[in-house]
Amino acid sequence: MAEPSSTELVDFGKRAVNFAIRRGAEEAEAFLSMLSSTSINIERGQIVRSTKRIDQGLGVRAIYRKSVGFSYTNTLSIKNIEDAATKAFKFARASRPDTKWQNLPNPRRLNETKDTYDKRLESISSDELVKMAAVMLDAVEAYDKRVLSVAGGVGTSLIHTVIVNSHGVEAYDRGTAVGCSMETIARDGNDVTPACFEVNAERIYRIDPEGVGKEAARQAVSSLKAKKIESRSLPVIFTQAAFRCLLYFTLINAVKADYVQRERSALKGKIGEKVASDLVTVYDNGLLEGGLLTRKFDGEGVPCQKTLVIEKGILKHFLYDNYSANKSGAESTGNASRTGLAPYASTPVLEASNFVFTSGNTAPDELVGEVEEGLIVYGVQGAHSSNPESGEFSVVATPVWKIEGGSVVYALRGVMLTGVIFDVLKNVSALGNNMRKIGQLVAPWIRVEDVRAVGRR
Amino acid sequence: MKDELVKTVDHGRNLGAEYVEARAQQLFKTLLTTKDGKVEVAKEGIESGAGVRVLLNGAWGFVSLGKLESKLLAEAVDGAVRLAKAASLRVKKPVKLVETRAMEDRIVAYPKKNPRDVTVEEKIDVALTMDKTIFGYDNRMKSCTIDYLDVTGTNHFVNSDGTYIEQDKLYVWSRIQASAREANIFASGREEIGSTSGFEIFNTEIPEKVGTMIAKRIINQLKAKTPKGGTFPAVIGPNVVGVFIHEAMGHLAEADLTLSGSILYDKLGKQIASDAVTVYDDGTVAGAFGSFKYDDEGVLTQKTPLIEKGELTGLMHNRETAYMLNAEPTGNARAENFRFEPIIRMRNTYLAPGDRTFEELIEGIDFGYYLKSFRGGQANLDGTFQVGIQEAYEIVKGQLGAPVRNASISGNTLETLHKVDAVGRDFELWPGRCGKGQTAFICDGGPDIRVREVIIGGGA
Repeated sequence: MAEPSSTELVDFGKRAVNFAIRRGAEEAEAFLSMLSSTSINIERGQIVRSTKRIDQGLGVRAIYRKSVGFSYTNTLSIKNIEDAATKAFKFARASRPDTKWQNLPNPRRLNETKDTYDKRLESISSDELVKMAAVMLDAVEAYDKRVLSVAGGVGTSLIHTVIVNSHGVEAYDRGTAVGCSMETIARDGNDVTPACFEVNAERIYRIDPEGVGKEAARQAVSSLKAKKIESRSLPVIFTQAAFRCLLYFTLINAVKADYVQRERSALKGKIGEKVASDLVTVYDNGLLEGGLLTRKFDGEGVPCQKTLVIEKGILKHFLYDNYSANKSGAESTGNASRTGLAPYASTPVLEASNFVFTSGNTAPDELVGEVEEGLIVYGVQGAHSSNPESGEFSVVATPVWKIEGGSVVYALRGVMLTGVIFDVLKNVSALGNNMRKIGQLVAPWIRVEDVRAVGRR
Repeated sequence: MKDELVKTVDHGRNLGAEYVEARAQQLFKTLLTTKDGKVEVAKEGIESGAGVRVLLNGAWGFVSLGKLESKLLAEAVDGAVRLAKAASLRVKKPVKLVETRAMEDRIVAYPKKNPRDVTVEEKIDVALTMDKTIFGYDNRMKSCTIDYLDVTGTNHFVNSDGTYIEQDKLYVWSRIQASAREANIFASGREEIGSTSGFEIFNTEIPEKVGTMIAKRIINQLKAKTPKGGTFPAVIGPNVVGVFIHEAMGHLAEADLTLSGSILYDKLGKQIASDAVTVYDDGTVAGAFGSFKYDDEGVLTQKTPLIEKGELTGLMHNRETAYMLNAEPTGNARAENFRFEPIIRMRNTYLAPGDRTFEELIEGIDFGYYLKSFRGGQANLDGTFQVGIQEAYEIVKGQLGAPVRNASISGNTLETLHKVDAVGRDFELWPGRCGKGQTAFICDGGPDIRVREVIIGGGA
């Protein structure tokens, strides 16, 4: 099926911007995305379905007397694009002015990105994806008969994005992604484990379905015969998947400028202050080589960049989009995001890109070996119910294992972890050297002292 | 549109598919976001597209297409057939569908106030009135974000069994999130409004009333204490019962997850809760956010009993799981839009009311908690659940006591359902959105219930 070329996409964008301006908008912006994705899905031990999605569209922001209107369409015809521009302008006129509005971004030089596009992924066949899924499935089955592959799959996606605005911003980017994941449980008589999960996602075609299958199976088997613990404070090692969940609803919000400006961040006014252990250095890096959220420009056409957020425990910088930057007299850090299956249908939202905890130099087994009595947590449940303002959380750790005398000894059940994320950051006592990308987070395993675990009486 | 879709389905049959379905939609949306009294953006959009699903050699192929053109629909079928063939290479137990009756129907929405006829100015007014009420309530209120969404349009469905359904979609939704700060104490709260009846929902959910309720709850938290961690008796309010029933019980009774090894796997016909507990998943509640007439496999919706007097009597099915478990399809196959294939989703899920008054529920508790309003919840296949609580109170010597903030409850679903020893008579249904790889609009609810013990986390 004939898809529009990058030049055609840019032309559609320019047409929308010009049309909105002709209609009377003072500023205008068009964002286009064209996304196609294919996935092979595993359910209950077999491959039973395969899905392909193709969607493209254009969204127009029009500004009139400091009010913002937006309209989108997924039909890329001249008529529909002009209609969208007209409606965006009409909505801006109908809306209320925001006195804090200044302007859309001006053009800035874009940085180069690396390992974000792999031509092989454009033409990969569904048969090849099925083969990868089969390798992963076989790895689970071969590991132990008590493990069930509950759900999982292999998928690829290809996205083209274009941004044009009336101040001269005009840019195009493309990217690919590939990933596989597996959710397992193990069952032995009446003993059913919680769901265990492993994933591997990359921008270029270099994933390890066999490793994912094996690890998901290993976690499930070692979750059998779980015990309970008494409530107490303990050192806890968080794997990347567990830490990502905790951070996403707490720290990551607290460093966003809009949260700070709106009194929703406990880090307000703390730039230059100690907010974490000396061991903690954090970047938001929109240019990370092969990063899952790496791109040339953000959802407003601002260049993506590497922003130092916390350096050796000291809070250095917040994350800004164009609006929050204008409001504070700062410069946008390129953190305006348009995401989802239809990015063109969304207006920009301030969001972190690759949120990177720099590596420590402790090997993972040493991290465990140094713990006399503690926990290792592979996932947390209920992190979205954290208090987004104060950083207070109260989550179920699952799956989770007990560490005794420097070794992982058995699985636990019914353990809640409660605390405040800012205390967790201050109590970081070691970072591993096993860096991984899990969604937005890029980090090693992280060991935290004195985490409150609530168990059964 | 019908002819196009029939042609598409026939094309799939000619290529050898055992079953073919095609859905086409044109959806109109209005979205607003206001932050602290300012309109961040007012949006409008049109999305049209189609989803084609084929079953071939016992495997599914699905293609979604952000366009409606006959040539592309035919190509989508070709693509879906290719995908199904590729997937079928590894099928051990071929997918089969339970038979259903062919239906032809046209479902028209008759809102009193169609959101498409309401000006964007009026929609902005509703949001800003809630905002103003919240900030006006107390000067410690610091932020307020309000999202508004309405969706209208028509869904066309054709399958190779001869079913053709044209069904209007109509949703009105709003979410209000606000926060307050006093020195180093942060408090926040959120609420959702949702309806399938029309914009008239704001005649019942009066913006000033909603705003006041949220602001009051948040300001109360500022002086609240954190809970003691541990196991306590509790009275759980309708809003929290709803999310508990939805997350901790409902998901496990979605037949696809039951088959995937949820703890309900071998429990059909068994006592899984105290006999005070009866639970339904009900697609027929007029105007409720989780209601519709036909699901996205063309099956009529219904009121499905899940638990009756403590016994697990039913699961939620699509045609595939109904075949596997020798059951009737229950009308639970839902797709968010043309981009997604239908999967088993809840509708309006609730615990049926009993006959106790609230006073009767709390009077016997020496020390415990009243959990009134939730902030998120989640459960695992093994029945471990967690529900965050945004509004709670101590119960001391049979009386409601001091407010408590940042509590959460957790436990094991079945153990907790067995510990329900009394059920109240006041019933509420709350709208929400549920994520399972795609979003579904749902309701959940129930009466107040008393639980002998539950783990209370939060605090230190």
